[in-house]
Amino acid sequence: MSTFFELSRAVEGGKRNDAKQITQSLLDQGIKPLEVVEQGLVPGMSAIGEKFKNNEVFVPEMLIAARAMKECMAILEPLLADAGIKPKFTAVIGTVQGDLHDIGKNLVAMMLKGANFGIVDLGTNVPPEKFVAAVQEHNAQLVCLSALLTTTMPAMRTTVQAVRDAGLTSVKVLVGGAPVTQDFCDEIGADGFSQDAASAVDLALRLAETY
Amino acid sequence: MKKPTLTEACQKFPLTCDGAMGTQLIERGMKIGECGMCWNAEHPEDIVAVHQAYRDAGCRLITTNSFGGTRSMLGRHGLGGKVAAWNRLAARLAAKAAGPEGWVIGDVGPFGDFLEPMGDTTVEELEEIFREQIAALVDGGADAILVETMSDPGELSAGIRAAIAATDLPVIGTYTFQKSAGEFRTMMGTSVADAIQAAFDAGASIAGANCGTDLSLDDYLELGKQIVAAAKGRPTILQPNAGAPKMRDGEIFYDATPEDMADLACKLRTIGISIVGGCCGTTPQHLAAMAEASRLIE
Repeated sequence: MSTFFELSRAVEGGKRNDAKQITQSLLDQGIKPLEVVEQGLVPGMSAIGEKFKNNEVFVPEMLIAARAMKECMAILEPLLADAGIKPKFTAVIGTVQGDLHDIGKNLVAMMLKGANFGIVDLGTNVPPEKFVAAVQEHNAQLVCLSALLTTTMPAMRTTVQAVRDAGLTSVKVLVGGAPVTQDFCDEIGADGFSQDAASAVDLALRLAETY
Repeated sequence: MKKPTLTEACQKFPLTCDGAMGTQLIERGMKIGECGMCWNAEHPEDIVAVHQAYRDAGCRLITTNSFGGTRSMLGRHGLGGKVAAWNRLAARLAAKAAGPEGWVIGDVGPFGDFLEPMGDTTVEELEEIFREQIAALVDGGADAILVETMSDPGELSAGIRAAIAATDLPVIGTYTFQKSAGEFRTMMGTSVADAIQAAFDAGASIAGANCGTDLSLDDYLELGKQIVAAAKGRPTILQPNAGAPKMRDGEIFYDATPEDMADLACKLRTIGISIVGGCCGTTPQHLAAMAEASRLIE
């Protein structure tokens, strides 16, 4: 008998083969896929995120945990889709126009996925209108903008403006990236800024609830 | 007389490396998001002019415009086939400005993804990616190889090993640090001591730091001390930003003046940093003041 706790621990420790095996074993025991996600994967990712915020672990451990989670999700996603179960919240994410860096964006996407968000990843160098179209198409509650370069930060402002101009007033815009600050977030009228990928999950959950 | 190698020279007298390239190209009309490496082929006169401005400022290390010159990074622009041609060209353009008294520093930046088990790339694949770029830089006339802005000591070490496999030239390894919970660490969580040790273990001749996330001038001085301590007498390098980026009226800027940077350069010399240069937000004016301050110490 495998347990949710074992799955959480395997994900947190980045043991992807164990995690996959336990996921399969839980399903074989007749447990519903959504329960495996919510009670096994999400707590595991949340635990590693918490350690990351406390500087007990760093990016490598988060990446390895996220990989384990992703491989479990590959087993679970088709089953969830068959059962017609969709994540409660959807986030559109991308690196803003002119910026080709994706490491930070990918980390946030993985962590959000680990908190059971539906993720629409638009990649890098994403023009404002593409963010707007994706929010409309997927009825997203959140749009997450990443930038690594000080020279591409102005594209965050134009993207926020484009989202608002499209009448998407209740969509929450999150911004992040090495040079981004809370001041900059406030200045451009975005709804939230977080310092790192683990804090981004807390912020995303809080903002999505107020959508 | 034959020019001494960079490693020999930097142990005899303080050397100044150059400063930012990207922002200088933006001032010359490069669009945000445009492929900086394309400028080697499309605007060679601008590249040489920036190199020359740094050389005239007193910088003897001239860094090639090839930060994103790996197959993996050029591939993002659909230009992965240009590695050999454009890195060779980048070295030739830097050599034009470096002159007989200067060193052409063949620049290698991060490959843009993660090594196993964090990512999908194996060490062997990564060494091959770096080797291809480095071979072209050497072919174009590089006097040393700089593997820079690294976060993962595994990636930096792969770059150093690839350089050593491709050439006998000196190899420099630099990391970018941030401050987390009061300590300098790379994004991957590596401490200064471990990072610098890994660089020398892999065979670097010179190791240190460049860039950095939100570090003040005082932070750079402290970082410099830790690098010198970690290097245990071996040559070191530090290329700070012009302070931490600030925001005014929605514009991002770096506000350290040339005088501020000259003062920092002086202090970095005093604590034993062998090569001082600049990164984000620095200009030929900053580097001129820094080189002058270093000359006064010498």
